[in-house]
Amino acid sequence: MSGKQYYRPGNLEQCLDFLAENGRESVLLAGGTDVMVDMRAGEIDKSWIVDISRLPELWGIELQNGKLWIGAAVTLTELLNSKLLQEHGFALHTAALHFAARQIRNVATIGGNVAHCSPSADTLPPLLVHEAEALLAGPCARRRIPVGEVAAGTYRSALEPRELIIGFELRPRSPFLADFQKIGRRRELVIARVNMAGLADMDEDQRMTGVRFALGSCTPVPRRFADVEALLEGSRPGRELFWEAGRLAAENMIRMSGRRPSFVYKEKAVQGLVYRMFSPLLEA
Amino acid sequence: MNLVYQTVGQSIDKKDGRQRLRGEPLFSADLELENALVLKVLRSSKAHAEIESIDSDAASALPGVVQIFTARDIPGRNLMGIINKDQPLLVVDKVRSLGDAVALVAAESETAANAALQAIRVDYRDLPAVFDPQQALTEEAPLIHAEGNLLCRRDIIRGDIHAGFAAAAVIVEQTYQTSFVEHAFLEPDAGAGYVDSDGVLVIHASTQNPHYDRSEVSGVLRLPKERVRIIQAATGGGFGSKLDVNCQGFIGLALYHLQRPVRLVYTREESFLATAKRHPLTITMKSGVDSTGKLTAAKVRILCDTGAYGSYGIAVVSRAAVHALGPYALDNVAIESLGVYTNNPYCGAMRGFGAPQAAFASESQMDLLAAELGMDPLKIRKINALRPGSVTVTGQKLEASVGYLECLEAIEPYYQAAKAEWLPAQVPEYRRRGIGLGGMFYGIGNTGTKNPSTARVVMDQTGQATLYTGCADIGQGSSTVLIQILAETLGLEYENIQMVAADTGRTTSAGATSASRQTYISGNAVLDASKKLAAILCSLGARQLKTAASDLVLRKGQVQDRRDPSRGISLAELAALARKQGIELFGEGRFDPVTTSLDPETGQGDPYATYAFACQLALLSVDVLTGEVRVDKVVAAHDVGRAVHPENVKGQICGGVAMGLGFALMEAFEPGKTESLKDYHIPTCSDMPEVIPLIVESEEPSGPYGAKGVGEPALIPTAPAIANGLALALGERITTLPANLERVLEAGLKAGLFGA
Repeated sequence: MSGKQYYRPGNLEQCLDFLAENGRESVLLAGGTDVMVDMRAGEIDKSWIVDISRLPELWGIELQNGKLWIGAAVTLTELLNSKLLQEHGFALHTAALHFAARQIRNVATIGGNVAHCSPSADTLPPLLVHEAEALLAGPCARRRIPVGEVAAGTYRSALEPRELIIGFELRPRSPFLADFQKIGRRRELVIARVNMAGLADMDEDQRMTGVRFALGSCTPVPRRFADVEALLEGSRPGRELFWEAGRLAAENMIRMSGRRPSFVYKEKAVQGLVYRMFSPLLEA
Repeated sequence: MNLVYQTVGQSIDKKDGRQRLRGEPLFSADLELENALVLKVLRSSKAHAEIESIDSDAASALPGVVQIFTARDIPGRNLMGIINKDQPLLVVDKVRSLGDAVALVAAESETAANAALQAIRVDYRDLPAVFDPQQALTEEAPLIHAEGNLLCRRDIIRGDIHAGFAAAAVIVEQTYQTSFVEHAFLEPDAGAGYVDSDGVLVIHASTQNPHYDRSEVSGVLRLPKERVRIIQAATGGGFGSKLDVNCQGFIGLALYHLQRPVRLVYTREESFLATAKRHPLTITMKSGVDSTGKLTAAKVRILCDTGAYGSYGIAVVSRAAVHALGPYALDNVAIESLGVYTNNPYCGAMRGFGAPQAAFASESQMDLLAAELGMDPLKIRKINALRPGSVTVTGQKLEASVGYLECLEAIEPYYQAAKAEWLPAQVPEYRRRGIGLGGMFYGIGNTGTKNPSTARVVMDQTGQATLYTGCADIGQGSSTVLIQILAETLGLEYENIQMVAADTGRTTSAGATSASRQTYISGNAVLDASKKLAAILCSLGARQLKTAASDLVLRKGQVQDRRDPSRGISLAELAALARKQGIELFGEGRFDPVTTSLDPETGQGDPYATYAFACQLALLSVDVLTGEVRVDKVVAAHDVGRAVHPENVKGQICGGVAMGLGFALMEAFEPGKTESLKDYHIPTCSDMPEVIPLIVESEEPSGPYGAKGVGEPALIPTAPAIANGLALALGERITTLPANLERVLEAGLKAGLFGA
């Protein structure tokens, strides 16, 4: 850990100025629950630690112009305590509930979880189903990209070294079904073996509409599965339908990631978990 | 006989409990030592290889590096092991597993020490390696030690199994497999030391057995025992792993050569890599039962993979055999238990010494037999339960304190209610509920060998008592229990008793904190010492009170006439009197349980003086779509003889259930893969079921105030109870532990439960 310098900008402008100069030599620290682990393992070769946990521009959860804004430095505990999120982003709220353990939730941030580009990031599937956009700030301009494009690959960010995520804009939804599911080797403090999120409304004809489905931990980066969504959209809930949706998700996973030893289990578990997640609709 | 005691049976404040809560006890990493050097160990990256050369010149020249030691620097016997000595402190010519210690670095700083580790060049020549114990026994297998790959064997032969199986109505045979398990105590291994003004090497260490440490370190350094002093530092758990000499030898070696304070603190990764694991066992068990449910015969083969070194392997092999068939009477048995060297990480003591693995097999068999007979699992256990007068598989006749039936009876109302109400309740379609029983017995103390403890109680001139014991309290609570026994016997307030523990410079040996033995064995040594001091006090009091010593009792800080408590004299007065008369007030106690060694051919004998018994009931639900298991409740009935400290007993039971749940569902150390707690999962609070501890007290006549032990028994029934619950829920039995997500899902698939 020796030879690293620490810098804590007081506002976004200072931060961007610093990154404009030293972006390539900097690692951003918000909650630190990933950075500290990587640092102890000797996997960080940058010379600057830039602490962005106190930039006011990265705080807050608000409804703005029909969008749900979540600042990048919002902690998982703050997500969990947010009434707005419970109402307009219930799947993400549920993900926060299953995220690591309390001590980690108290410091870990949503921006950090996304920026780390882990294939198992628990906030990703719910952000994907809410069609979230990441708002990025760089030295010259701000831009927005779909949250699924933050990661260029497993643990590989698509952001410029001089950029940072300042927050996310979600499409607020409070549908009939909004859920997040996770399988781990234990109930807390565990990296997901499989995680997923789903949204679905029911129309007056008892057909599913606005179906969104995203799967994590099974492909290089978490992603929505369009054909699973298409299969369910406009259909009436049914056991065989959900079972088929699960099979399709598993098939997609294998197609995208190739056969891996862990898929002997995951192929079944993904199918089972999709079924379990949508099964409350059977009683609708 | 249900006597009411003053202190025994009361859940008094735990000794040093408040200090612990305030964070005051000093762990080895916290001890202040002036200018202490940092020690680091270079460990093997090969599983089996000859060492052609070790070049430490470049490393030695680095700034801050003080010295680098190899096997050549060891003045004494470079072999360690409490039962058989086969493990070098630093390897001589070859490494036998990943993590073997190759060289020791002493440096001025952590950074310098780590740099030195990087700079040492070791040339290895790879040797063929063997990782499967069955293969290791074949002719063509590479030799791990010159004497061969078979470490030891234990056979138990009794009756006539052919006649027994002929008389059976039902026979079931099954092979069971368990995994390597890491102890995962809170505090990774650590120690620190200095040389005192008398030239004694003083080593503070996180340890379960300071007196053994001393003999090992003095042997390695060829020093008289008096030149080495081991003091147990505050110890954050051990569970058996800290019975091995881990840091102590390295610290001793550095002190010997450098005469400067040193410290060695393992990282979690090093603790995972370089310390003992629980033995994975392969158990093939064939069991027969007649139509009434009475067991008629059993044939068992046990293969224990001890990895590269023996450690406590011989004890595990033997105990697994003795406990292979559980707390049941059986006249016809043939048990073969083998301990085998492989190039896996070495395996040693871990809470239960082979009994948890054996219980998984034998209790699964009991349920299989019951199912074949269409008999209730509780009933078959009752029919075969050991009871007073029963004879064990080693031919030992049990006289008293055989509380297994009482444990089954304590569980029964919970079992019947679970069966009638909980099991049939409506749950989502993809969930299945199950309930399972796990029984066990456990011999207290070492198996058929001497294992004495000693203690000394001293009273000063003001009537204050101090207990000197070698017994290491590693969090389990022995210090509290020993003080309770002393306080009860001398009629003292426990708060005023001073204690000196686990310091080879000031206490005599109490043996290892292992085998659930400290309450029973060291408790008896303290009882003996206290009684001897009580006798002196009574004879002094008799003269003062002009009455016979036999009419006197010690109560409330006084020697009193038992018929007329108003006639008494305080211990303070007696102590002052004794001083005037030049009488020293102390008692020295000793206890060694009465056992006989097991016959080498037939395994017959009385290996333990007493046994603990237990039965646990697990209520669980399984998600057949994902393989997730939720254990909802565990009811745990334990015959502890007498609970000296009931809350502590309950604490042990709850902790044991947690560890047993990990063993059952998630814990598996994969050599060469598992690095630390990041990839080795133990249960969290959220994984814990509600635990209902039930204390059963079937008094042990030879125990201190009737006590036996509970440390290991707490863990043993949990995994079998869960495995049996899973089998009921799934209709398919899992025979390999842990029953993780993959195995549970697969079992559900086989049973045709996976589907919409």
